Amino acid sequence: MSAASVDELMAVTASRMLVDDDLVFVGVGTAGRAFSLAVGIPLVACRLAQLRQAPGLDVYWGNLLNPDLSSVPATLTQGTITSWRGAYAPADIGNKVDMLVRGEFDVSFESAAQIDRRGNLNITRIGTGDTPAVRLVGCLAQPEHLAFVRRPVVLMDLSSRSFVENVDFVSSRGHGDGPNSRKALGYRTAGPRAVVTDRCVFDFTPDGRLRLRSLHPGQTAADVLDRMGFEPAVDADLTETPAPDPAELEAIRDVIDPQRALLRA
Amino acid sequence: MKSKLVSVSDAAALVQPGSTLVVGGALLRRQPMALVHELVRCSVRDLDLVTWASSLATDMLVGAGCVRSWEGIYVGLWWYGLAPNFRRAVEQGAITVTDHSESYMTSRFRAAAMGLPFLPVQPIRGTGTTERDDVRSVTCPYTGTELHTVAAVEADCTILHGYVGDEYGNVAWPVHRDSDDVDLIMAAGARTLVVSVEKIVPHEVITKHPNLTYIPHVKVDAVCEAPFGAFPGSCDTVYDEDDRELETWAAAGRDPDSFRAYLQDTVLASPDHGAFVERLGRVRTERLEVVQ
Repeated sequence: MSAASVDELMAVTASRMLVDDDLVFVGVGTAGRAFSLAVGIPLVACRLAQLRQAPGLDVYWGNLLNPDLSSVPATLTQGTITSWRGAYAPADIGNKVDMLVRGEFDVSFESAAQIDRRGNLNITRIGTGDTPAVRLVGCLAQPEHLAFVRRPVVLMDLSSRSFVENVDFVSSRGHGDGPNSRKALGYRTAGPRAVVTDRCVFDFTPDGRLRLRSLHPGQTAADVLDRMGFEPAVDADLTETPAPDPAELEAIRDVIDPQRALLRA
Repeated sequence: MKSKLVSVSDAAALVQPGSTLVVGGALLRRQPMALVHELVRCSVRDLDLVTWASSLATDMLVGAGCVRSWEGIYVGLWWYGLAPNFRRAVEQGAITVTDHSESYMTSRFRAAAMGLPFLPVQPIRGTGTTERDDVRSVTCPYTGTELHTVAAVEADCTILHGYVGDEYGNVAWPVHRDSDDVDLIMAAGARTLVVSVEKIVPHEVITKHPNLTYIPHVKVDAVCEAPFGAFPGSCDTVYDEDDRELETWAAAGRDPDSFRAYLQDTVLASPDHGAFVERLGRVRTERLEVVQ
């Protein structure tokens, strides 16, 4: 069996963060690489967890609770999404937003144009002037995710353009400016839990700073730091990201995504 | 009940220049494009748009110079990238934008639907969309908790695109659909409500399944028939988005002149929606149709 691709490693790493009975939020995503990060990798991670340690895990994708992930069509169009089988799709999306605000989600998968040292996310605009250098999409429900979901997980490719000292716009609040900053702002959740990239995995220090936790095979700490706009904390026990085991890879390749509809790389 | 069935152009004429306009649909689904085309043909200017996750409607109205401001949760072309005209207008300061997160925005639409001036929301503090003058605070009289408040969407007019409707304006969804939108709430809070539908059906079709009617005739001011009324976006269960057209749009939108030329060749080349669909041709429209 060939070695794990980067996307497979990211999916397996994310999958191992999921536990039985989790309710997981997955976005509807956009084009190209953004689709892999927002939809493809998260759905593979969820399905893999369902097949292994988390049979009771529920996914909420778009406005569909528990979409049937047993066979994913090779191409996704509105038609295939509309006819997707699932357990629940309320009359309007406001019901799902209510579930978010009530704190009913355990995990959400996030991606962003920028993330900073404190885990703040930006999907709204690049540039801090009166008019943005680049106008992005808005903010969707990402502010709610980081506020009300128990264990948000960020999936992003490592680059100094996106890992910045301070985000240009706080779409969603991470760990704030100090150890008690979330509590002071009235947040009842602990903030983003991990950041899984194409080169390494980060978690956060107890006082809320991004911390390099493990390196993917072939990566060095110097490679990683070169691709960041700030110097993160580094775990004293910096390790290699645990490799997928053959059974996990087999499940992804033969059962979950045989047509490469989700992991398109 | 009285008939409220009018032509697409007469329906769109209810949208006044300089008004606040709620535009329905979500992502590439059910954007009320037939009505938007008519606003472009008539050069209805200075609109203040209020949307949920908007794409083609906002991008076209901005590209045609019809928009003064936008507020909502998202504008983009989903699988086809950023919304090029919207993006350029914001970057050049030609329109103002106010970003809202989903819980704040649903509460704004719900407040309107409930006839309330505002609603409290669970506060999400310390973000760029919530530390702003339009977001205020109230102390809960029962628990003493400090909550944020958001104002009701007070729009002059609301335009939506639906699946089927009758001549009275009862608009129904199919049993199975993609429900990732808030058209239902937008309709409930509308002051003047204009709905285009894929097909006008006999009243008896509607009365067989009244629970499928999500917009009742009492709310509607004008209903019109607009087959392929969300083109080149999708109307879930009826047709898919047109990938080729969206790629053309995304490319044309990178430059104001090329987008004007695109409008000239498409929307403005047809005097009305009927002519527009005829121009698309049967081969093209049949390719997009979906079977559920």
